[in-house]
Amino acid sequence: MKILAAEDEEDLREVIKDVLEAGGYSVRTADNGDELLKAVTEESFDVIISDIMMPVKDGITAVKELRASGNDTPVLFLTAKTEVDDRIEGLDAGADDYLTKPFALGELLARVRAMTRRSREHAPRQLTLDNVTLDTEKEELSCHNSISLAAKESRLMELFMSNPEKEFSTSELYEKYWKNDENADEEAVWVYVSFLRNKLRSIGAKLTIEGEKGGGYRLTGGKG
Amino acid sequence: MQLYGGFEERLEIVASRFTEAFEKAAEELRAVTGEKTYEHLETRIKSEESMEKKCLADGLELTPHNALKVIHDSIGVRVVCLFVDDIFKNAELIRNMGCVKVIREKDYIREAKPNGYRSYHMIVEVPDENADVDGNHPGKYFIEVQLRTIAMDTWAALEHELRYKKNIKNTEMIASELKRCADELASCDVSMQTIKDLIKAM
Repeated sequence: MKILAAEDEEDLREVIKDVLEAGGYSVRTADNGDELLKAVTEESFDVIISDIMMPVKDGITAVKELRASGNDTPVLFLTAKTEVDDRIEGLDAGADDYLTKPFALGELLARVRAMTRRSREHAPRQLTLDNVTLDTEKEELSCHNSISLAAKESRLMELFMSNPEKEFSTSELYEKYWKNDENADEEAVWVYVSFLRNKLRSIGAKLTIEGEKGGGYRLTGGKG
Repeated sequence: MQLYGGFEERLEIVASRFTEAFEKAAEELRAVTGEKTYEHLETRIKSEESMEKKCLADGLELTPHNALKVIHDSIGVRVVCLFVDDIFKNAELIRNMGCVKVIREKDYIREAKPNGYRSYHMIVEVPDENADVDGNHPGKYFIEVQLRTIAMDTWAALEHELRYKKNIKNTEMIASELKRCADELASCDVSMQTIKDLIKAM
């Protein structure tokens, strides 16, 4: 995993670099916000660690520009203890976490691990339950054979497969996936559950989604 | 070369008699439900040339008995439907036709072939008033019935082109894209059936 560390104090920069490298990461350093932005145009990183107060371009401005350019690499800010406003501003600018100076090096490593774990959870993946596999990248459900899913079907199926036997109410699912869709109403949940039910059946899956129209829905392993 | 041993005419008669009986049964069902169960039918007698290739591919001697009795698709009937559930309605219709004996059924819809091919196959046996190649009286003929949706039919037509065209570049890439199309078409078929059912229940 690659980490970009931007810090203007040379001693601290070198310590951060050493401890991350000892933790198995490959590290590139920058000494101000401009250098940080230059580095991300040249290569991609799994995590960016950035000081806030830096000459030439401060960390907050740099991260704002980074996010405006569409880059969503997780960012960890390093802030001085007194800079409460900076911390708020930093998180609002698009940072994912912060660490106040002085910090324990062990905590820095733990925060980096937590951030890479979070980003991995969002990564496309394959989920298998019983004899059914869902590939969220290809949006494909497979068993004896395979069938494509619409984007929303894939996300709904991912939720069900991550929570087998757990019941989700119609309004809960509606809030989760249709809230921003102006033209949808709760009937959409039933329609999509029906799509998934029939698609599961069409590939010979033992899994099925139980529940009545307007009620709660639950993915279950099927009977026998 | 007379691979069918002079039985071609009987094949034609048996095929059209089966088709007519099926159309009649489907029409009777339509009178009750108000919905036609299929979009169109195709009937074909396998050409002697194709039958010869198939016999050779299967390691069979070129005899009328092998062509008519060991291989089961000298007569082929394809039932192309609008919706997935119609396939199963038609299969049931065929099972219940008088004089038709179902020999084998294979559901390539529930269990698609690895390349993505989907269809419902039935091998049926039907009688003929004349003696057949083995001297049975009444005679017996096999018919392979393929039931599929329009989407499956379009896909199969494209796959057929890939299979019989020589020297295609990137065959692997095309085959995998074709497989993806099959899965997307299957997805649409299931979605359309679901919407149809939802509308019906409203």
